[in-house]
Amino acid sequence: MDEVTKVYEGKVTHRAINQLSFEVSKGEFVAVMGPSGSGKTTLLNLISTIDSATSGTITIDGQNPEEMGKTELALFRRKQLGFVFQDFNLLQMLTVEENLVLPLTLDGHKINEMKKRVMDLADKLDLKQILEKRPNEISGGQAQRTAIGRALIHRPAIILADEPTGNLDSKASRDVLELLAKVNQEQKTTILMVTHDPIAASYCDRVVFIKDGAFFNEIYSDDRRQTFFQRILNLLSLLGGNVNDLSTIRLS
Amino acid sequence: MTFRQFAYRNVVRNRRIYAAFFMASIFSVMVFFMYSMLMFHPKIDDEFLREVAVSGMIVAEIILYIFTLFFLFYSMSAFLQARSKEFGLLLQLGMEKKQLNKLIFLETMLIGAISIATGIIFGYAFSKFFFMIVRELLQLESLPLYISWKPFALTMGAFFSLFVIIAMTSVVFIRDQKIIELIRGYWKNDELQSYSKAKAVAGIAMLLFAYGAAAFTSINVVKTLSIILPPLAALGTYFFFTHSVIFILHQVRKRKSMYWHRFNLIAVSEVTVKLRENANMYFIVTIVSTVAFLSVGTLTSLSSYTGQFRELNPLSLIYSSEINNPYESEHISLMRNELEEQGLSYTLVPFMIKQQTSSFSQYKVNILRESDVNSLAIALGLPIIELDSGDGMFIPYSEDSIKFLGNRNIQTVLEESNVPVSIEGVYPQMLFPAMIIGSNIIVVSDEDYQLISEPLEGRTMLTSSFKFFAFHVAEWERTKSIGLEIETQVTDAIYKEKYPDLPFYFENPGLNYSIIRATFSLLLFTGLMVAAVLLLAAGSFIYFKLYTGLERDKLQFEVLKRMGLTDQELVKIVNRQLIPQFFLPWGIAMLHSAFSFLSLQVIWSNLAEVSILSEMILVLVGFTLIQIVYYFLIRWRYIAHVRAS
Repeated sequence: MDEVTKVYEGKVTHRAINQLSFEVSKGEFVAVMGPSGSGKTTLLNLISTIDSATSGTITIDGQNPEEMGKTELALFRRKQLGFVFQDFNLLQMLTVEENLVLPLTLDGHKINEMKKRVMDLADKLDLKQILEKRPNEISGGQAQRTAIGRALIHRPAIILADEPTGNLDSKASRDVLELLAKVNQEQKTTILMVTHDPIAASYCDRVVFIKDGAFFNEIYSDDRRQTFFQRILNLLSLLGGNVNDLSTIRLS
Repeated sequence: MTFRQFAYRNVVRNRRIYAAFFMASIFSVMVFFMYSMLMFHPKIDDEFLREVAVSGMIVAEIILYIFTLFFLFYSMSAFLQARSKEFGLLLQLGMEKKQLNKLIFLETMLIGAISIATGIIFGYAFSKFFFMIVRELLQLESLPLYISWKPFALTMGAFFSLFVIIAMTSVVFIRDQKIIELIRGYWKNDELQSYSKAKAVAGIAMLLFAYGAAAFTSINVVKTLSIILPPLAALGTYFFFTHSVIFILHQVRKRKSMYWHRFNLIAVSEVTVKLRENANMYFIVTIVSTVAFLSVGTLTSLSSYTGQFRELNPLSLIYSSEINNPYESEHISLMRNELEEQGLSYTLVPFMIKQQTSSFSQYKVNILRESDVNSLAIALGLPIIELDSGDGMFIPYSEDSIKFLGNRNIQTVLEESNVPVSIEGVYPQMLFPAMIIGSNIIVVSDEDYQLISEPLEGRTMLTSSFKFFAFHVAEWERTKSIGLEIETQVTDAIYKEKYPDLPFYFENPGLNYSIIRATFSLLLFTGLMVAAVLLLAAGSFIYFKLYTGLERDKLQFEVLKRMGLTDQELVKIVNRQLIPQFFLPWGIAMLHSAFSFLSLQVIWSNLAEVSILSEMILVLVGFTLIQIVYYFLIRWRYIAHVRAS
């Protein structure tokens, strides 16, 4: 991402992203953190190609979504991107199995191929028992695992996750995050996750902090998740208030 | 902002949601008002027409009223469901249940008042036009616009009471729900997926049986069937929508190669939910449309009867008279005078019809003279006949009999006078209205006719023959005021059951025609307007339901678009979702009416030898076109909405 700026025109002009530049390398697990209103979701929408930047360029795997037509973009999203949402957004009328297979049907894969991939994924994500259930009959953790399965099944280059643990309890959150980390390591899938939760961020390779739409800081993980978590907290407290506040938080 | 202002703004700012609802209720008020205008019209003097017009309007108004009540009730509940989130929020903010009820009451009454006012304004504006059509149909001199408080009072009274009923009862729909449930809205998934296989099969079986029975019915059983079949078909339709459709779609879902193909997955599953969710509504729409199709179809078939009227009634005035009828010369000169007064040119062909017993069948035959038949044929512009002595020919007594008698060749003797006749063939056109002379008519040569001198066995010469005066008037439609006096005598005698004592009989097809035509076209026109209201409402039902589910659909399409659904695919999915919703109830209604018409045809052909096929096709095609236009209109709005997300 290079010098990306997004301005929302309207009655009140609002600069959501301001000359933001950063790079995510292939196979990296990156978290984007920032306070409310810092432009995290806008950023994700821009990378999702469902919104376009006012200025600056976004390059995904050498391709520039700006230059693509509408249909081309849709096909690009279909093949290259996977999405995980805070409130799962599973289609209510479909069973878990059908939700999983949805991206493949859109892309017109063969039935046997689809069945095989569903079985593999269900194994990996521990969804075998609930394949025939509907989204309103399963727990939040199961729903999010299903959503992750849906994001993975077509083997996208990038997974974009928007607060994937926002609606989950701590146990389910841990499961989901470990799963994402595992996927990242085993399949070398690039994951870009927007989150509020420092625990979630501590599972990543790198955390990018933004504030008011601009780059603020970034930190890389080290060997121990515990210390990484502590560093994230430190930076967050810095992010959250004035520099002067820092000492008080440290003291407590 | 006062409470009333709040209610007012709720309605005014939600006008787009209310648009279809408004349109249907305004239209219904408008039609109701125009009917009332006709009902109270001071200028319809004619007793008979007044009766037809008034009773037709009353029936139409009752149907309209009941239907509108039902329609508003249903749409109101759909609205309240769609707005449950909003109500939940209001309750959360501390609104009392009583206040919420008051809010809904105020809103409903506001909508009611606006629709009534607009409907009446439009109704009054179109009344002149409506009267012009009615005047044309009833062939009245003039039917001016008038001002009277009565139609206004009736319309306002009827619809205000209706809206009060709706406003009071619709509140029931949001009773007994927890605030949290209102805010969340509800997703009745489990209930939606269930179906009973037995009922699914029963539904299809009932429909098939009803169709089969309707298609292969005959005149003997049609009465019994007409009692059994409608409820059976209705029940079958209900099961079909609530169970069979879901059952069939589940079968599709089992076949993965079909179901998992491209966007079929989304389209089929979505359709399953939508169809089940709205099954009751589709059932209602189907029944309503069937009734609309049927009433219009039946009425068109009636008007096709009037089209064939002339063919069945080639003569313009008919007067038959016994030999010793004392009024004969008086009546004939009366008719002649009246015709001359009206400036109508005419030809009068008098017949003396002799009766004999045929040795072939032992039945009474009515015998005409060749030269009389030829004079009539010349007057009517039909081919003349040539008969040798000893030859005879059948005169058809009905349309059917032309084919039936054509190949018959009979050697018979007219027993009393001992005249042998060889009867061959039939006159190729109807000369007399069906059955007016009897069913056994032949024409013989003038020579043989002279030879018939003996009376029918057991009768005198006076009673074994009668006179028949056939008037041909080129402008036959203008004869409706000719011989009214004689007509009255005949009808009086029929009413008093003294008809056999009357020494004469009179028939004026011109008058009959004008009555039949006026009645049928008025009924048709009324029926069409009612059907239009019903169809408009049926379409609005579907629109409401789509609107109710719009928020959820928007969210779903947003997810799908992120996942890489192209615009073209979105349109295709929408098509596959909407087409069944629009055309399944419509298709079933079409099937229902098509098979009902098969049965109707049996009744009709028995009554009047009229084929209603072409009219039927016209009516069905007309409704199909309307439905297609409606589909595109609503698809356009729907796609605009889901794309806007």
